[in-house]
Amino acid sequence: MAFTLELDRVTKTYGSFVAVDHLTFSIPEGEIFGLLGPNGAGKTSSIRMMIGITAPDSGSIHAFGEPLSRLLLDRIGYLPEERGLYKKMGIMENLVFLARLKRLSVREATRRANSWLERLELGRWADSKVEELSKGMQQKVQFIAAVIHDPDFMILDEPFSGLDPASAVVLKDALLDLKKQGKTILFSTHRMDTVERLCDSICLVNQGRSVLLGNLRQIRASYGHSSVQLEYDGNLPLLSDPALVAGYNDFGNYVELRLAHGADPQHLLQLALRTASIRRFEMVEPSLEEIFIDTVESTKTVTSHA
Amino acid sequence: MRNILLIIQREYLVRVRTKTFVIFTILMPLLIGAAFILPTRLMTRASPVKHVVIVAADSNIANSMKAELSASHAADEDDITPRETRKLTRADFDVTVETGPTEALRQQLTTRVRSGQLDGFAWIDDDAVTTRKSVYYSRNASDFIEAQLVRRAFRYALNQRQLTGHGFSTAEASNLFGPVSVDTVRVDKQGANQSSGIGSFVLPYFLLIAIYVTVLIYGLYVMRSVIEEKSSRVVEVLLGSVTPMQLMAGKIIGVAAVGLTQIGIWAGAGSLLGTGGFAMASQLLGNNLKDAHMSTLAIVLFPVFFLLGYATYACLYASIGAMCTSDEEAQQLQFPVTLPLIMCIFCAMSVIRDPNTPLAFWLSMFPLTSPIIMYVRVSVSMPPVWQLVLSIAISLASLYVLVWITARIYRVGILMYGKRPTIPEMIKWIRYA
Repeated sequence: MAFTLELDRVTKTYGSFVAVDHLTFSIPEGEIFGLLGPNGAGKTSSIRMMIGITAPDSGSIHAFGEPLSRLLLDRIGYLPEERGLYKKMGIMENLVFLARLKRLSVREATRRANSWLERLELGRWADSKVEELSKGMQQKVQFIAAVIHDPDFMILDEPFSGLDPASAVVLKDALLDLKKQGKTILFSTHRMDTVERLCDSICLVNQGRSVLLGNLRQIRASYGHSSVQLEYDGNLPLLSDPALVAGYNDFGNYVELRLAHGADPQHLLQLALRTASIRRFEMVEPSLEEIFIDTVESTKTVTSHA
Repeated sequence: MRNILLIIQREYLVRVRTKTFVIFTILMPLLIGAAFILPTRLMTRASPVKHVVIVAADSNIANSMKAELSASHAADEDDITPRETRKLTRADFDVTVETGPTEALRQQLTTRVRSGQLDGFAWIDDDAVTTRKSVYYSRNASDFIEAQLVRRAFRYALNQRQLTGHGFSTAEASNLFGPVSVDTVRVDKQGANQSSGIGSFVLPYFLLIAIYVTVLIYGLYVMRSVIEEKSSRVVEVLLGSVTPMQLMAGKIIGVAAVGLTQIGIWAGAGSLLGTGGFAMASQLLGNNLKDAHMSTLAIVLFPVFFLLGYATYACLYASIGAMCTSDEEAQQLQFPVTLPLIMCIFCAMSVIRDPNTPLAFWLSMFPLTSPIIMYVRVSVSMPPVWQLVLSIAISLASLYVLVWITARIYRVGILMYGKRPTIPEMIKWIRYA
């Protein structure tokens, strides 16, 4: 299998702070890959190394099978987490300027910018200044800036932030379209629902280290149907019974719990009915959110004990 | 290279088409001009016509006073004339002569002064010639300039009378009180160059302000541009395509090109309007500017010293920009960097007066002040060539070091947000390869 990006024991320290610690993963060509992790986990530091803004202290990064070099950057598109456009310049000017830095001609840049703006329903804003646009619109412009040079590999840091649901759908369709064309996409996000819908594989990083890595389906399968989602009115004292429940997350409208080893879901339901009225009881694969929180929590305990 | 050109192009176009650029291009010469012309204008402002009556028993006295008051005098360097009076020499007097001072007339004139029909009247009675005493009745007794002028006219009339009594003709007598002038001539290596004191002071001062303002403003443009890219996070996108060094170089060159464009426009407009504008300025300044001229060397060296000064300060300001996240933060840091520039302005006065003092020499060698002070020296009188060359060489050498340091601070700084770095941290940035 060809890999678009390979990180091998990449490490980056700032002073005594280890931002990225022996991070290793590979993204197969044509996949959508999710880079997940809590704030400050080292996602941005990793991404900066992937686009050559900073160099790793040790370890290696390969892109398209070659060691990462500036020449390869023209094949990579980058959407930073915080919008980065010239506020006082027009949309079209911003896009053409950034595209020209990626070696497009003015003409080609203008043509592509126009067609992307139409596609993302921004056509009539082409001559407006960036500062006149809403956050969501700016985000779409930023997205165009990342893909205008038709890169083979895109790094998108929180691409859906600030978008209304309708715009998010437009953007998601654009992404799936790019995937169909064989492009590789790396997502960095906290939004588990997006990841669950779009990503093929994920890497969960915490405190600079990779704590969970692999194909999303396999990861979830390995957790098995050991989770229960419960919607109820009343009290559920059984949630704190370690013989039944290994852990739970209260999502407000419902509770998702992991069954303790050997616990019987039917028994749990019967017990629950005694103290609460149950509106929904569902055996599910653990949601990614659940896995995320669990993994982050458990790695935190590990390091705090160590 | 392509990247640097693109960055230069963007930096240039974005700045040149702003309203600020257009306004500054037009306003700057006007402001500097106004700074020189306004005070002179105010000093020589034509006051409203003063209606006065001179009442004297002796019509000769009254008439000579009228002649003296009505004549407009060229300002001369006559130290006997009090400064305040000279300021008013252009005041216009509308003088009526009355002979035969009677009490009735006095009453009548007093009423007219009170009602504002008249500004005042001089009362010169019969024995005024011997007592040398007269009275000036005025609505505004505190207007000492007006009184001063009347007093002068009275003295003039008495002197005139005495001189003609001794056989002088009226013309000869007037001639004795005519203005005198002393021209100053600057002697330099090329020979004698006629130029008046004010002219040779005004031009270097004008050039000093021009180079100071451009260096400062364009240096600050670089700083603001760095902060803008940093705070809007464009820099992260850009660094996916260009190196920090390319970005910094493109920015500094782009802004320099804007500065040169502006100076070019000023120079072009200056040479077009040159004759006319200069003539006008000379007139307003009382003909003192007509001899001030810019040597070819001073013209050629302006862009050279602008670029040296600009590049030096652009590096310093770029470092500050890279260290800060907001304009407010940068404002606190920019002061120490701007200090040497401000110092230039303070020292420049003494340098213009005497361009060959040790102070002038050292200031024109120290890289943070040399571009401005050396240029001021050149515009006053040509310094020894070795000093000029040495000053430029020191400037270039220090620039080389400065660019190297700035590139390092910039490279790390533009990606750092939040806390401003401490000095040890910055030293680490510089050493960090």
